[in-house]
Amino acid sequence: MKNRLKVLRAERDWSQADLADRLEVSRQTVNALETGKYDPSLPLAFKIARLFDQSIETIFQDEA
Amino acid sequence: MRQPMTPPMRRYLARFVPAMLAYVGVLVGSLWVIRHLAPTGPLLWALAVAPALPVIAVIAIMGLYLMEETDEFLRSVLAQSMLWGIGVTLTVTTAWGFLENADLLPHPPLYLIFPLFCASMGLAQPLVRWRYQ
Repeated sequence: MKNRLKVLRAERDWSQADLADRLEVSRQTVNALETGKYDPSLPLAFKIARLFDQSIETIFQDEA
Repeated sequence: MRQPMTPPMRRYLARFVPAMLAYVGVLVGSLWVIRHLAPTGPLLWALAVAPALPVIAVIAIMGLYLMEETDEFLRSVLAQSMLWGIGVTLTVTTAWGFLENADLLPHPPLYLIFPLFCASMGLAQPLVRWRYQ
């Protein structure tokens, strides 16, 4: 699933490790999310949305 | 590039290493007693099965790690790798059994099946991870 994680992270000047720390996940997980090849669970998606103060739909776009 | 270990990974290692050391100790001890003191009856049964107990502990330790890992992506990679391990193990042992039926292969000790699972799961892990690069 496509997402804007990389852009949102760059806007805040965070490294993948910074974002991983804030989400309490591994850097591998952030990397897999950013490639769009790993879709987060609903709880992690909500955590990401809250961290960036945006709705899930504005961060993740399903290509249906 | 390598990740620092998550707390569940550290717990896994703290359990796995003593279990493997126990395995080596119990295996050597059990073989020695059986060979030199030639026990019989229930004692022989107990001594013969003893090396399996730390191996069973390792299986439980792997299951505990899978349950305790809070990082959902790492958990997913491990679960998929375990499925590959199961698939490879069932494939090899099924094919081997039929080849053995035709006297083409010898009968291997069954305790090699768990190392076969571990090896195939271990080989699958980088491949599963690579799919998310």
